Amino acid sequence: MIGMLSSRQRILDSVRSATEGVSGSPARRAEAYAALPRDYIRHGKLRAKVRIKLMIERLREYDAEVTETTPAELPAAIQARLAASGRHSFVVPPGVPDEWLAAGFDWKIDRNLAIAEIEEAEGVVTASSCGIADSGTIVLHHSESEGRRVLSLLPDWHLIILRASQVVETLPEYFSRCKEPPELITWISGPSATADIEMTRIKGVHGPRFLNVILVHDEVGPKKDPELRTAENNSAKAE
Amino acid sequence: MSQAASTHAELDPRKALPFPKAVLPVLRNPQLRKNVAHAIDVIQAKRARLVAEKSDWQDLRAAASAIRAHALENLGAYLEQFEERCAAAGGTVHWAADADEARRIILDLLREEKASEVIKIKTMTSAEIQLNPYLEANGVQAFETDLAEIILQLGELEPSHIVVPALHVNRSQVREIFAQRMGLKELSDDPKELTNAARAFLRQKFLSIPTAISGANFLIAETGAVAVVESEGNGRMCLTLPRTMITIAGIEKVLPRFQDMEVMLQLLARSATGERMNPYTSLWTGVTSGDGPQLFHVILLDNGRSSILNKTKERQTLKCIRCAACMNTCPVYRQTGGHAYGSVYPGPIGAILTPQLMQMHYAQSLPFASSLCGACFEVCPVKINIPEVLLELRAQGVNQERERTLRFFDPMYIGLRIANWLFAEAGRFHAAQWLGRIGLKLFTGKDGWIHWLPSVGEKWTQTRDLRGLPKQSFHEWWAKRRIQANKEAQ
Repeated sequence: MIGMLSSRQRILDSVRSATEGVSGSPARRAEAYAALPRDYIRHGKLRAKVRIKLMIERLREYDAEVTETTPAELPAAIQARLAASGRHSFVVPPGVPDEWLAAGFDWKIDRNLAIAEIEEAEGVVTASSCGIADSGTIVLHHSESEGRRVLSLLPDWHLIILRASQVVETLPEYFSRCKEPPELITWISGPSATADIEMTRIKGVHGPRFLNVILVHDEVGPKKDPELRTAENNSAKAE
Repeated sequence: MSQAASTHAELDPRKALPFPKAVLPVLRNPQLRKNVAHAIDVIQAKRARLVAEKSDWQDLRAAASAIRAHALENLGAYLEQFEERCAAAGGTVHWAADADEARRIILDLLREEKASEVIKIKTMTSAEIQLNPYLEANGVQAFETDLAEIILQLGELEPSHIVVPALHVNRSQVREIFAQRMGLKELSDDPKELTNAARAFLRQKFLSIPTAISGANFLIAETGAVAVVESEGNGRMCLTLPRTMITIAGIEKVLPRFQDMEVMLQLLARSATGERMNPYTSLWTGVTSGDGPQLFHVILLDNGRSSILNKTKERQTLKCIRCAACMNTCPVYRQTGGHAYGSVYPGPIGAILTPQLMQMHYAQSLPFASSLCGACFEVCPVKINIPEVLLELRAQGVNQERERTLRFFDPMYIGLRIANWLFAEAGRFHAAQWLGRIGLKLFTGKDGWIHWLPSVGEKWTQTRDLRGLPKQSFHEWWAKRRIQANKEAQ
């Protein structure tokens, strides 16, 4: 322990003496930080309809399968997608609405499922926290309806429910909505992929090989810079 | 094993040959050069398209550069903040002054876990401290899980790039390695089939090995969070399935705030692989009950970094976010690949980072492995002026050399003194020109180029041709023209 403490001190001393002339008091540091140039695009300009269209287009470019539906028809849309997948056993996080668990399939709710049970499932259905149209990215905050991280990782087929009201145009808009950063975040842009062999893009290495999205048109008119609502709030609201 | 894949590479800067010598076997290996050029052409084309699509690219670069510079200027405060927040979230922060200390900390942690095996997310920092051979010598087997890293590990090859470390290996070479080491004789060289073989090979390891090692792309001072950027999902596997996670990160990896990722994430994937966004980015904050590893250690590694921080011009080296855009665009790297740099950090960034991490005791030839064309500066997402640092390090290297050698035996010194004397007076200069024209005539080919010179001259001609001296100098032409004009006037 003493050795570690002294290394800590040595590194910090060396860093401090190296930056003596340029670093400042906490107040000066905060001032310098606030003055950093941020002239990049922070707010999108697209109308809601175009923004959603872009989100879908970008997802499809990553080989994600996207379908659209309305809040009322969501359970039917889920059922249709599950049926089309040809798969039968699915896992879900504990916080998803009961309506999502379509009849005729084998459902396991993740109340401390063993890893082996998750690994056995053919697919997983989760909610999400945000969509970023510019890069076709979906963000999971791993809330009760998005599930712990391993749940959306081991099954080979992942269906994400994304609501139109959760879709922003630019990445900075996501960050400005995210006032309280959650402890865990996963940004997903298309299915697992690699280009390590001759730069040939291969879909599906270790994560789910199939990424599916149902986009729910829940738009209720323009909102002024809403705080990022957690996924369960959204799903509860839609029922 | 095929020839290109088995080219021996020494990536320890203490033992590696100087660049001009290390580069020779590569230049004689057409397969390797073809593999490198192909991979780079693909990345470059994708990058160019996706960068052009961002109308605010230059604004993003300016912001990223300023954020990284600010983080480095206040590194002490941000490191302490990171340490405090990470510990408050259940992580344990360790500090390692050098590679040796980092390796020992990791081994101690593994022994506490009674681990004989460990799974790894690709981390260049662990390659920098040569972790795998050390662990193996101490009875712990490390399994790389990134596809490129598996190729290298199973093929006993060295990385040649920091983002796509096996870009010098082609599909048939990968097939050979996998067929041999995984016992899959029927394997074809289809990249999809090869990828699936790696998936099957690693699945059980992910599910059974309870300890993992990762690097970090970003450390967030504000929240104590760590972020890892990846594509395959092997990172997510290592970050969620094991009981214990050990992360090793250079002290320069700190970002002041969570929000700063909005700039870095827009630049990183586009610069690195030419994608709008990499498939997976994971962020975690200490330990989260019921999700992922319940023991989390971060090792903050100095290993020469704080000494770089000291110098105003060189400090910018540490802004690097390891996207590899500089090596992808570098005309030298494109010809040589990574191994000639004798470091796990090749290309332009390696040429400035490696000698500095070695505190200018080794790898002094690397700053000369550049034509100073400036392409690296132009593509760098955090605006590191690599040519400026290259020149600074060249100057330091020359000064070092001067101190080391006796002046009057130093050919460079003697040459420059003679040049100084010749250039000081027009008569001497003209005489030298005249002599040179006669002397060099012997070596000038029919095409007007000099391809070979003896003695010291060979240092130039071994890597480039020299134009033969013209029959007439400008001065002579000018003088003749005036005589002509005078005649005509009369």
